[in-house]
Amino acid sequence: MNQNRDFYAGLVATVFFAVILFVLIPIYVKVPSFIPGFAPPPDMWPRVVAVIGLVMGVLALVLAFPKMREASRNQVEGLGSRVLGNKTHIQRFVGVLIVFAAFVYGMPLIGFVPATVLLLGVLFIMTGNFERKFWMIGLSIIFPVLLYLLFTKVTHTPFPEGKLLSFSLSDLVTL
Amino acid sequence: MWNELLYAFEAVATLPNFLAMFAGIWAGVIIGAIPGMTGTMAVTLALPFTFYLPPVTSILLLVALYKGSTYGGSISAILIKTPGTASAACTVLDGYPLARAGKGGKALNIALVSSCIGDFISNISLFFLAIPLATFALRVGPPEFFMLMAFSLTIVASISGRSLVLGIISACLGLLLATVGEDIYGSYRFALSEDMKSGLGMVPVLIGLFALPELIKMVVFRPEENNDAMKLGDNRLTLAEFRGSIKSIFRGSIIGVILGAIPGIGPSTAAFFSYSEARRTSKNGDKFGEGELEGIAASESANNGSCGATMIPLLALGVPGDVITGVMLGAFMIHGLTPGPLLFQNNLGDVYALFIGILFSSVFLFIAGKATAGAFTKISRIPQTLLLPCILILCVYGIYSIGASPFDVTVLLVMGVVGFAMMLLNIPAAPFLIAFILGPMFEDNMRRSLAISRGDLGVFFQSWISWGFFALTVLFVILTIRREWKKWRNNRNADSASAN
Repeated sequence: MNQNRDFYAGLVATVFFAVILFVLIPIYVKVPSFIPGFAPPPDMWPRVVAVIGLVMGVLALVLAFPKMREASRNQVEGLGSRVLGNKTHIQRFVGVLIVFAAFVYGMPLIGFVPATVLLLGVLFIMTGNFERKFWMIGLSIIFPVLLYLLFTKVTHTPFPEGKLLSFSLSDLVTL
Repeated sequence: MWNELLYAFEAVATLPNFLAMFAGIWAGVIIGAIPGMTGTMAVTLALPFTFYLPPVTSILLLVALYKGSTYGGSISAILIKTPGTASAACTVLDGYPLARAGKGGKALNIALVSSCIGDFISNISLFFLAIPLATFALRVGPPEFFMLMAFSLTIVASISGRSLVLGIISACLGLLLATVGEDIYGSYRFALSEDMKSGLGMVPVLIGLFALPELIKMVVFRPEENNDAMKLGDNRLTLAEFRGSIKSIFRGSIIGVILGAIPGIGPSTAAFFSYSEARRTSKNGDKFGEGELEGIAASESANNGSCGATMIPLLALGVPGDVITGVMLGAFMIHGLTPGPLLFQNNLGDVYALFIGILFSSVFLFIAGKATAGAFTKISRIPQTLLLPCILILCVYGIYSIGASPFDVTVLLVMGVVGFAMMLLNIPAAPFLIAFILGPMFEDNMRRSLAISRGDLGVFFQSWISWGFFALTVLFVILTIRREWKKWRNNRNADSASAN
């Protein structure tokens, strides 16, 4: 399997560093019209790193290729086919991405504490192990609230209270 | 001098001073163990309390918090693969595999012992070597700094694991992500959104990269072994194990003292440098990264070894080396003390009292660490299906509290996904880590040096310190190429033999 993984790692790295070098650096690294003294421009270092990364990506591809050929001759299952053969894993991974995105975009709307309560609950469900159901339910509610109290009392962190919910946890706590 | 020391001892050995140190160390250990809560936060939060305390007690409280939090970072690094502080990031590499193997207590014990020894050596050097080390630190300018960083980056070769090429790819990714935000001349790089203009925070990136992939892996693959709690085996540290790590502990402590005395380097670099040296010289070098006690000893002795040493430029020159010593400088000034050469003339009694008090802190660190680590070890008994989601929530709260920024939380989650992808592709995370921490220092000092010399590359070879690090870098690169060449040749021979 390693030879396949090396090939895909090389492929991903090559594409990534090529995009950085040819697309992102020209657009997102602003070179000022005047640079004081003889200081190197701000794009010099990212370019050097991206070139090294690109060369290493291609090298990883080249080094993995003979082993890939050998593996295909020996009928070793490739990473791609293995991933495609495991749709459940892909679905779960996409599920994780959706949950994380929902947390990031939903947190300003429903508030930090309710969002973390929901996030913890959903993650417990996603582990697929329901042997300790009561612990899961209890922890989902109590743990984020305890952390909220700890951080608001000790570090005085102002957690977002949410635009949609009219009440805040701090009101409940101070009642 | 001895009379003054005796008076200073009498002034320090009071109950309020001991209580302040003990409370500071204990609180520091707990704060350091919580992901996202850093020593800087602890020291800053405690600063207002020092208004009401005598000068020496105030500084001792802040120093105790700093030392406690530096050690505390190792607890979460070992038990939950989440470095509580950036300086404990290196401890994750060997600490977590040991915890997974049921030796979490052993790992915590070696971390504690190494931290205390490193801390004690650092305190002694503060006492005796403050002036010479401060003078040496003054000679380290941007070119020397650049060469030191270049040498430190060669560690990528030793922590790349199976493939050097993939290790370098990982390091390049770390170097690139470290360039996001505003550079030293005010230009923005890769600022795709307004939040990205201030760059990516070190703590969210590190915690996301190490702590979250375990959770995502558990959710995606649901491996059976992850449902159980980690086993608790024999957790005592044997004399043979301690003896096996002693060289690395002393080497790490000395590295911590020297690098800690140079303003701007800090405990994270010292930890990586020491880890790298331990790996290069140890007979168990191949086992580093798989759960080697010596790796933890090297990293922890260096990061705590640099704590006392960061006080050297502050006390001797009045130069704060990092944010924490910057806050301490504020505490000195609140009490009418001005650090620098005049402090030794005008307030010698206070300086000696401070030195003696700091010596006691190593003992307090051991006591507080022993008591706290024992309680934290119980985390290992929590089943992974309950523990890992709770760690994520703890990280989310901790990261948000650093800058009250939802963007930091987003970085944490995105880095978790990146870390998981790297795990799938067998790209090692450790080179990313070191490159992300050292990259900005490497680049800034290179650009500063070239700006000073008006583009002349000769600036990098003007002092013996630069030459020394350059020679070491070249030597290590040659040795690495030789090792890789031999490995490639052996593999080729083995392949052709099996084909025949």
